[in-house]
Amino acid sequence: MAIAPTIYIVASDQHRNGKTLLARLLADYLLLDGRDPFLVDTDAPDGPLRNYFPGRTALADFATIKGQMKLFDTILAAPGRDYVVDLPVRHLENFLAAAADLNFFQECKNLEFRVFFFFVVDNSFTSLKAAKAVQALAGIDLFVPVHNKLVRSTWPEEEGSLTIPLLPAAIASAIGNKRFSIRNFVQGDVQGLDEEMTMQLQNFLYEVLNNLSNLEPVLSLKNLKM
Amino acid sequence: MKPTLILVGADKGGVGKTTMSRTLLDYFARKNILTRAFDTENPRGSLHRFYPAITEIIDLGNVAHQMKVLDTMESAAVPVTVVDLKAGNLSYSLDLFERIGVLEAARNGMFTLGLVHVVGPSIASLDEIGEIAKYLQGVEYVVARNSINETNFFEWDEATYRKYFTQISKTHEISIPKLNEMAYEQVDVAGVTFKDFIDNRAADGSAGKFSFVLRGYVRKWCAENDEEFARVKMLQDILGTRHT
Repeated sequence: MAIAPTIYIVASDQHRNGKTLLARLLADYLLLDGRDPFLVDTDAPDGPLRNYFPGRTALADFATIKGQMKLFDTILAAPGRDYVVDLPVRHLENFLAAAADLNFFQECKNLEFRVFFFFVVDNSFTSLKAAKAVQALAGIDLFVPVHNKLVRSTWPEEEGSLTIPLLPAAIASAIGNKRFSIRNFVQGDVQGLDEEMTMQLQNFLYEVLNNLSNLEPVLSLKNLKM
Repeated sequence: MKPTLILVGADKGGVGKTTMSRTLLDYFARKNILTRAFDTENPRGSLHRFYPAITEIIDLGNVAHQMKVLDTMESAAVPVTVVDLKAGNLSYSLDLFERIGVLEAARNGMFTLGLVHVVGPSIASLDEIGEIAKYLQGVEYVVARNSINETNFFEWDEATYRKYFTQISKTHEISIPKLNEMAYEQVDVAGVTFKDFIDNRAADGSAGKFSFVLRGYVRKWCAENDEEFARVKMLQDILGTRHT
């Protein structure tokens, strides 16, 4: 089944809760699925994503108008492929304001993009509130609350969320190395991990990638209900 | 309906007079009101660059040119005429119009005469308001604080400002908000109207390649302008009678 080009936005109102890891996993998931995602890392000048995906990542500083152009204009000038946008905490509000001012989500719809918004919901009440505000936005095809087991989450369990399982610190550190390719690991290259770590990472990825591949049926169900 | 003649002027250069004229012409274009414009910045004409089809460059000191503006007011099928007065020419022009009977004709109701006085953020701009007060009887007077490409705040204190305003009975006051400088520059470079920029249309009518982001900011800025213009009776009167 052909899947419409999709913009995957990964954001949170809190720091250090696995946002960039999720963006990276998403990109690897799409690549493993045979798609051709382009990434926009709006956390310039740092841009951790670019280290993992050189050649398919643009670095933009969303605090500047040039950065906004780089993000929005890059995406809208070349529709027909997938995009993963990593939005750091400090740009979340700006991004939402600019998207509203510019009618960005409507323009996405005009160009036949779907918009998936991933929001890592932290263990604070403010985070839940911020997530609910994004969920209520018009123009988003699928809102995905993300529960990172490492930081816990105030998102109500009964409403369902995308879960990132616990990842032992040693493995997190190993795959944090910019030479480590999750894609190659999934395809059998353990890249120096020992047997136990390999097993643990396999379990972790199995769960995450499975959860990601379940989003399409989730969306179909949601559309059916409407 | 009665035609309307809108003068756009300032006694000081560089306060965004031509931008103000463009903003007005753009407003009417978006509201489907036909306009024509005269650019007195002879012979260069920066307004002419943005609106070549409806703008004529004239010299107000020239009697033949004066006639071109005034004698065609009633015969022209266009309800709105905008005259962009050259910088430093405001008092001179008003004086001239007084002498040749234009102000009187307006007072007698032959047409509506509006003056949009563009002021910058300096105190000097306030003095200009005092200087021209004597011409303003029967004129729809609009003071436009222009912040389009300003980063500094207006240095007027409200008390002084009010003092100037009490000299003049019917004053509308509008504020042209700041437009992102990159967006402003792109419109300028392209030499298109704000409306065409928003619609992504190049000067020659072909599809433009303007940034979605910058187009969005211009659109937002225009919406902010519309809110300002909505408070000016003269402009709303023009819109209100468009179907007659």
